[in-house]
Amino acid sequence: MSLISCKNVYLSYENNSVVEDLSFVVNEGDYLCVVGENGSGKSTLIKAILGLKQTADGHLHFGNEIKSGEIGYLPQQSSAQKDFPASVFEVVLSGCIGEKKGIFFSKKNKEYALENMKKLDIEHLKNKCYRELSGGQQQRVLLARALCAGKKILLLDEPVTGLDPVVTNEFYALIKKINIDFGITIVMVSHDLQACLGFATHILHLKKTNSFFGTRDEYMLSDAYMKYTGGKINA
Amino acid sequence: MLDVMNLLFSQEFLFRALIVGVLISLCTALLGVSLVLKRFSMIGDGLSHVAFGAMAIATAASIAPLYFALPIVVIAAFLLLRMSESGKIKGDAAIALISTGALAVGVMATSMTTGMNVDIYNYMFGSILTMSESDVVISSVVSVVIIALFILFYHEIFAVTFDESFAKATGTKVSVYNMLIAALTAVTIVIGMRMMGALLISSLIIFPTVTSMRICKSFKRVVISSVIVSIFCFVSGLILSVKVEAPTGASVVIMNMFMLLVFTLIRVILQIPAKNKLHSFKKLLIAIVCVVSASVYCAAMFSGSFVAYEKEKTSVVATTFAPYDFARQITGDCADVEMLLSPGGESHTYEPTPGDIMKIKECDVFVYGGGESEAWVETILDSIDSEVRLVKMMDVVELYEEETDDESHNHGHEHEYDEHVWTSPLNAIRITEAVCEALCTADGENEMAYRRNTAEYINELQLLDESFEELMTLRERDCIIIGDRFPLRYFTERYSLDYFAAFPGCSAQVEANPVTISTLCDKIDKEGIPVVFKVDLSKGEVAETISEQTGAEVETLYSCHVITASDFENGETYISLMKRNLEALRKALI
Repeated sequence: MSLISCKNVYLSYENNSVVEDLSFVVNEGDYLCVVGENGSGKSTLIKAILGLKQTADGHLHFGNEIKSGEIGYLPQQSSAQKDFPASVFEVVLSGCIGEKKGIFFSKKNKEYALENMKKLDIEHLKNKCYRELSGGQQQRVLLARALCAGKKILLLDEPVTGLDPVVTNEFYALIKKINIDFGITIVMVSHDLQACLGFATHILHLKKTNSFFGTRDEYMLSDAYMKYTGGKINA
Repeated sequence: MLDVMNLLFSQEFLFRALIVGVLISLCTALLGVSLVLKRFSMIGDGLSHVAFGAMAIATAASIAPLYFALPIVVIAAFLLLRMSESGKIKGDAAIALISTGALAVGVMATSMTTGMNVDIYNYMFGSILTMSESDVVISSVVSVVIIALFILFYHEIFAVTFDESFAKATGTKVSVYNMLIAALTAVTIVIGMRMMGALLISSLIIFPTVTSMRICKSFKRVVISSVIVSIFCFVSGLILSVKVEAPTGASVVIMNMFMLLVFTLIRVILQIPAKNKLHSFKKLLIAIVCVVSASVYCAAMFSGSFVAYEKEKTSVVATTFAPYDFARQITGDCADVEMLLSPGGESHTYEPTPGDIMKIKECDVFVYGGGESEAWVETILDSIDSEVRLVKMMDVVELYEEETDDESHNHGHEHEYDEHVWTSPLNAIRITEAVCEALCTADGENEMAYRRNTAEYINELQLLDESFEELMTLRERDCIIIGDRFPLRYFTERYSLDYFAAFPGCSAQVEANPVTISTLCDKIDKEGIPVVFKVDLSKGEVAETISEQTGAEVETLYSCHVITASDFENGETYISLMKRNLEALRKALI
């Protein structure tokens, strides 16, 4: 069952064509990594998936189970957030904002937020101040918030930027756990090709034309991969 | 403390200031949280400059300033947002562009009319003590709207403030909330700058949030703490200004700085024991100790009774030096005489402190000019109902229109009357007589003494007038050159002197028009005039320039509007200062 299907899509940024004739499918339970050089249209694609940008042409369809605003998004951190005085619970709860009815969050919203914090093992940080957490903890908090917003699918934008190698590996393991144990579909934009190949089931290599889309194994035999890695093949 | 509180609630003008101030502080604190955390702190500053520009244009064009400035500032707020969101010009640069641009437009607008007048100064530095009833109504409405919107959209505002991209992804209408916050900020600033002034209003937006961020660890606490800090700082700033007779706006900012210091200290103390592994409740204890000591300090600062103006003698309050001196000469020891403008102060930017207003309210005779730079007097007299006997100097004498241009061209706009009426000794006599009459009605017991002193003093003034007359019969030329503003119009009319001045009337303009300066220099060269005048308390930069250019000597003319601190201590009087003028003129005319 496909959650996102993208057929012959054209994307543009400030009237310049960025991606042409892009097609791919994300099925339930997939772990898709989006790679590509800077300026290859990764951010534009994210905006299109989030519904913040119209496609210039083609069809971008969502499965019946995803309404707009139900994709759990993990954006890149802004500098303003680093010293933001908010408690962990406030941040996680804000993920439920799409579900909020009326002025205040319901009890159900709050329980759901707590549940997601438990899943990511950050329940004990509930009343801590966001700015006092380590980089890895902050990413977990934002991940918990993303889980509150998207029950089916997470969209992660360069989630390990600025984390040290140990924390980075822990974080990848956590995403894999979310993917396999909780059955949540993952779409991750990343520069870290090696990690992608280690965890992903599918790869989308974005280019202006002739973007590659396929399973991990297909990708590793492709020309795109050869060119990208300079011919080195190490599985 | 009780006395001060009592005063705040018993005086209508202070009570209004309190209400408007508390409401505005509350609004700025709420909006400030969002603006500061989104790195939009300078938006407040930028918008206040835009508001200043708009108010200046409105004043120049005689449109109601509030209704003109509101839409302009709201549009500017949207524009600022659009500019910084589109990323074509970075946010800080966008704000600097708009704010300096608006300031320049405002200065242009004022210079094309009568120059910096009192209204404009009020918009720059605020005048919270002259709030009208409609100000109270408007600020109440605005604050109710802001509080309601803030509660209704609290969670959305948090989401948009913390992470715009995530909020967008969840379907929150981010740009709508940004617009809403910008529009509310614009409205709050336009209303708040009447109270704090364009230069200080942004401090109300920024300080409370930054202060609260020192120690608060959740958004909700920052919001609540900001509101409390903001209101506390306003009220204590108002009390401080009553206690030490300082301008209110600056006092409020000083209190905000103090609170920031206290909160920073608490944060530092909270961080020390973490290393020593003290238990967390001890941290709390230290925080409490800190808070308590701060409040003790504040209490000590504000305790002690407010100096009530209990008077045994009859009292006279005068706004400026000349009428103060007249009253002093009339009363001798029979009454207390007070001057509101402190020696050395700038008359055109003077703003009454709460104490000054109390003095006016409590005195028996109040002498004021009634001119443009004392527009605040009418507002205050409206807001206090007391039985003070008033002497308005401009009502006592024959008036001349103020020169609005150095070449006396009529530009077709409204002419103000020159308010420096006392510069002619004959007018001084009339004013003295009027003050004497007022005193005799107010204090019948000492009538004899007042009338005797007045007669003697008028005699001296007549002698002064005669010595000027005598000089005029000896003079070799009719014309004096003033490289400054010119407040002695009544004087020159009295003795039929021609004058050429660098600036019109009493404008506080400081930049001279180059054409005017060269005209003055030509005049000096052509007619061999030996002296170029400056006016007392001015730096005399223009006069110096002309002196360097032509070799004419710089001399000072005293307007007796204000007096320097040293002259005041030396007991100089209207007559002694006028005698200095006599000597200076002797050099210039003979």
